Amino acid sequence: MSYLLTQLANGVSIGLVLGLVAGGFVIVFTSTGVLNFAHGSVVLTGAYLVAALQPDIGFWLAALVATAAAALLGVLVNAVLVRNLAEHNPATAAILMLGVDTVLLTEMTRRIGNRILPLGAPWGADVVSVGGVTVPTARVVAAGVAVVLFAALWFLFTRTGFGVAMRAAAADGDTASMMGIRLSRTGAAGWALAGGLAAVAGIFLTSFPTQGVAPSIGLTAFAAIPAWVLGGFDSLPGAVAGGLIVGVATALTVGYEDDLQVLGRGLGEVVPYAVMILVLLVRPNGLFGRQAANRV
Amino acid sequence: MSDPLLDVAGLAVSYGGTVQALRGVSLQVQAGTVVAVLGSNGAGKSTLLRAVSRSLGAIGGRVTAGTVRYDGADLAHTDTSAAVRAGLVQVPEGRRIFADLTVEENLRAGGHTVRDAAARRRAHDDVLDLFPILRERRHQRGGLLSGGQQQMLAIGRALMTSPRLLLLDEPSLGLAPQLVDQIGEIIKQINVTGTAVLLIEQNAAMGLRVADTAYVLETGRITASGAAADLAATDEVRNRYLGVSEPGEQPASCAPAPAPRATVTLTTQTGAAQTGAAPIGAGPAEAQPRSEHRLTVAELTVRFGGVTALRDVSFTVEPGTVHALIGPNGAGKSTCINVLGGAYRATSGTVHYGQRELTGLRSHQVADLGVARTFQNISLSLEVSAEDNLLVGRHRLMRAGTLAGALRLPRARREESEHREVVRGIADLLGIGHLLPRPVHTLPYGDRKRVELGRALAAEPSLLLLDEPVAGMTHGESSDMAAAIASVQRRLGLSILLVEHDMPFVMGLAERITVLDFGRRIAEGTPQEVQRDPEVVRAYLGAAEAAA
Amino acid sequence: MSDFLDSSRLPDLADRPARRHPARRVSARRVSAGRRLALVLALVVALGLPLFLNDFWLQAGLFSMAAIVAAVGLTLLVGTAGQLSLGHAAFAALGAYAYTWTAGDTGAAPAGLGLPPLLALVAAAGCGAIAGALFSPISGRLRGIYLGLATVGLVFVSRHVLVNASSVTGGYNGRRVEPFSVPGFSFSNSEPDYLAVAGVEFEGLHRLWYLFVLVTAVAAALASNLRRSRSGRALASVRDGETTAAAMGINVRRAKATAFTVSSAYAGLGGALMALAFGRIAPDLFGLQLSIDFLIMIVIGGLGSVAGAAVGAVFVTTLPLVLTEYGADLPFLAAPGSGGLDGATLSRFAYGAAIIAVLLFLRGGLAGGLGRARSTLRDRRRAPSAGADGQAQPGRQADSGTAKDPGTAKDPGTAKDPAGPADRPEHELPSHSAPAVPSRSKETSA
Repeated sequence: MSYLLTQLANGVSIGLVLGLVAGGFVIVFTSTGVLNFAHGSVVLTGAYLVAALQPDIGFWLAALVATAAAALLGVLVNAVLVRNLAEHNPATAAILMLGVDTVLLTEMTRRIGNRILPLGAPWGADVVSVGGVTVPTARVVAAGVAVVLFAALWFLFTRTGFGVAMRAAAADGDTASMMGIRLSRTGAAGWALAGGLAAVAGIFLTSFPTQGVAPSIGLTAFAAIPAWVLGGFDSLPGAVAGGLIVGVATALTVGYEDDLQVLGRGLGEVVPYAVMILVLLVRPNGLFGRQAANRV
Repeated sequence: MSDPLLDVAGLAVSYGGTVQALRGVSLQVQAGTVVAVLGSNGAGKSTLLRAVSRSLGAIGGRVTAGTVRYDGADLAHTDTSAAVRAGLVQVPEGRRIFADLTVEENLRAGGHTVRDAAARRRAHDDVLDLFPILRERRHQRGGLLSGGQQQMLAIGRALMTSPRLLLLDEPSLGLAPQLVDQIGEIIKQINVTGTAVLLIEQNAAMGLRVADTAYVLETGRITASGAAADLAATDEVRNRYLGVSEPGEQPASCAPAPAPRATVTLTTQTGAAQTGAAPIGAGPAEAQPRSEHRLTVAELTVRFGGVTALRDVSFTVEPGTVHALIGPNGAGKSTCINVLGGAYRATSGTVHYGQRELTGLRSHQVADLGVARTFQNISLSLEVSAEDNLLVGRHRLMRAGTLAGALRLPRARREESEHREVVRGIADLLGIGHLLPRPVHTLPYGDRKRVELGRALAAEPSLLLLDEPVAGMTHGESSDMAAAIASVQRRLGLSILLVEHDMPFVMGLAERITVLDFGRRIAEGTPQEVQRDPEVVRAYLGAAEAAA
Repeated sequence: MSDFLDSSRLPDLADRPARRHPARRVSARRVSAGRRLALVLALVVALGLPLFLNDFWLQAGLFSMAAIVAAVGLTLLVGTAGQLSLGHAAFAALGAYAYTWTAGDTGAAPAGLGLPPLLALVAAAGCGAIAGALFSPISGRLRGIYLGLATVGLVFVSRHVLVNASSVTGGYNGRRVEPFSVPGFSFSNSEPDYLAVAGVEFEGLHRLWYLFVLVTAVAAALASNLRRSRSGRALASVRDGETTAAAMGINVRRAKATAFTVSSAYAGLGGALMALAFGRIAPDLFGLQLSIDFLIMIVIGGLGSVAGAAVGAVFVTTLPLVLTEYGADLPFLAAPGSGGLDGATLSRFAYGAAIIAVLLFLRGGLAGGLGRARSTLRDRRRAPSAGADGQAQPGRQADSGTAKDPGTAKDPGTAKDPAGPADRPEHELPSHSAPAVPSRSKETSA
């Protein structure tokens, strides 16, 4: 029983972190219509910056700088590249992001090499035990931070003028701009938010029990894509729910891998994608999606 | 007279370099006045408004000549946001409220540019005073409001900036008569506080009632202008935009606007004959009707969310006849066509074509029964040649499968060349044979309309649904099109159901007419009968005039 | 059908001059003759090249041709039908393993069926097609980029299967690929053991080259036929507006599923060629990166054009090979693994930068850029006789070129796309901003 609870706790925590990454996909997509395939390398870049800076300036300051830098990176990619596409449509924008991803990932791989950089986080490899359930402290912090961030996003989008303007711009950019809302600004804000969320997610994806920062984290972040698609492409609550589903499903499969031998080794890696395909068969627009996906 | 608040001079706008939407348009709006621009679909009204509000770029338009000066300053290098901050705000066509945002949030988005919190609160209170219903429903999502409430929200949203010049794009679109009157009153109230209004309207009665000055815009040019009252009295305007004429009666130059009497008649077939369209109803069809099926629409109701677009509409199209569906904007005509074609689902009611029930079939199944259609906004593959666009119409008549096509089997090649030959024949009879090799995006508007008609004919339909076949065409083009349609119909014995605003066109072509207003059928009969129907006159002229 | 041509039923509009433009027809034919010449030239070059190339370039050529086949199939899906797929690596993997298993030795470690390789090649394409068809409940309902994301899952699922079904696939380490052969002749270094043409010894790579040229040419020809056939027009029509396509009697779901199936068959065939070129296959060859590479090929090359897909495939395939092979000769490069800029790293940078540069500066990709350069040249050459051509009709346009008010949607009658003016080229994938519910005002809003 406590084993099951442990797996669930791990799953929820990882799921919330994936939700942060998936939320970044949603925000960039709704604010500028871009499928940000470079999101994974932004996650990696954020984590790398923390690992690279923390020996000199300490973990907390490094985390702050990394988050700001990842946000800035997003803003720059949007301003310098996306807005200057020769043909602006979702397909070319998506491919552009694949190009950006290649460049970023190559640079990170070159810098990190075969090493695994320690993150230097204060929670280290500590664990917390409550009623027989033992979880890494990092996972507890991750869940807490994610919940706080989601609350902050909710506040931003419903209680502040700029957040409402961002939603208006996402719903109907043309009309929003007639109201004097500058789409360049709401777009930049979207990319900045997504970048910041990616860096925070990067910190937790590389915390214990993960060894540290390695280029493969970029691919781990890719598991947020099923979370995003599951949730329905354009819904933040959907991203959170998708993240939780993917996180819990993965944790349970990994936890009970011995009982699932028939389905083959390494099942945990496929589960998010298998779940996604199954959900899409039943609900082609995802769980929270509007009809946009298959409406004519 | 002081300098005008808005001064548009010699404005020309084109889309993508090939389509010229406006040519040499000049108009002025004095501070604190209401100016109406009247015009039918495709006249360039929205283009004009977007040129003023600097939002042309979003739809690919470009100002190619002329200037727009607001408050003495040239707006050439100003963006939409800066224009809004200077007090120049547009309410977009079709309301376009943010459906997922609450009423409160919609207003908040509207007041985005206002920095001063106190001013924002003041504007907010003023808007809710002007529209008490919005105060009541302010925590509901915008999408749940009724059409009229959405229009109020759209106007209220724009008023959040306390503009000096409010641009309104067809505020009466699709609203019930009382609501249209109410919107008219609201515009007057807004104007009383000193806000100038530039109003774009197809509903000429409403436009002329609230405006001080009016302009008539036709296919991209200003064709008439003057004091609203004078304009309302001219034959030109009455004929084309009120859909009425009063033969033998001289317009009174100082009459209160507008001055139509209840004795108006719609333009008769004589008028249409001058345009070159042969009256069809006069004689029996010359060919065996290709269609032996009757189209029967019975108690059709369509709802979108909270809006009822069609309510219990019934009518019948007899085989081999031309039947028109007319009515003011937003009456539900295109919705009706879309249900017949299978693009929309009926909420209740049935449509039968012969014995087959169309409601419930998917679009391509409807097409397979021999029902072809054109679209209100031309829908062609722009990168592809006109010939290949026409060939898409042959799709249902061709048999070659994917593999046969890829292998270019003799059967597929023979079929391909036969059908290309047929398509050339169709193109020649529509006078577009010489355009076949050209990619559609290089063709001007009128030719695209004909290519689209050709594609529908290529499907060899027995029933043809035409959604505004001459919208945005010049008078000459419109009569050419009428001649082409009449001729094709006569020879091939098609049934045609058409939706159109151009009254001379409709009166010249249709044997029977069904009139819709606010989703209901209000009249049906021959053109002559419909023209005399008091309900129809009321629908076209508005409640106030009919009562007068 | 023929009664439409029966002159007795033709409307009397026939007295309109049936204008034909002989000049245009001729010039169109000249262009297509030029094209044919270019194709023949390309074929001659392709046939003659093995006489001059070393093994490295022969290998690069084989990889390129395998990629061309898959890319051509993908461009049918993305460029012609407007659907996106990031799952094509899975179909390529399926084709590769289907070939290897079908042609594999019955007695070898991961056993095979021992059937003739030619049959195995057909099986590879067939398996791709079947898998693509099985995906049709999703591919027929989702559109554009949404489908692209959903297909990401296929790559991971297929990889999982490849790793675990080791009795057929050989697991992580993969399995050897049986060389292609027809009775009496093997496309390897043996049987015949020695074969020479014009003094150049033709070994396995040379022989495979010709097989690949044949398969690639046939695949490209079929694709370009398909694009111009009834089915191709139906696909393009679905891409340009699903409502309109349906109104013309096209079954939209089936069209989208067909595009996906055909495209998967191409991927399967391309995968089999990859297997032959590599000589040994393992699951890692068919990861997400391969899907992404396919997509990048067709976008860099220019969406929708078969030639563009080919150019893109060669570019994407050879760039890293060349930079890795000849990187050592570049003075500023560091040794691999030293943390400096080595050849492999440089090739990744160049690859990413090339994608970005093409998308920022070349509308229509490499093929679009080339096409524009060519037409600029042609126009310059023609300029003196432009008036005689009879194609320009500026007067007509000035008379009637009235725009419908803004917002001519690609799908009129239903969704209204605010960003769709009457004449903007709209071959792009559907935008995400289509309103969810058609409001009543839409029917009249233009």
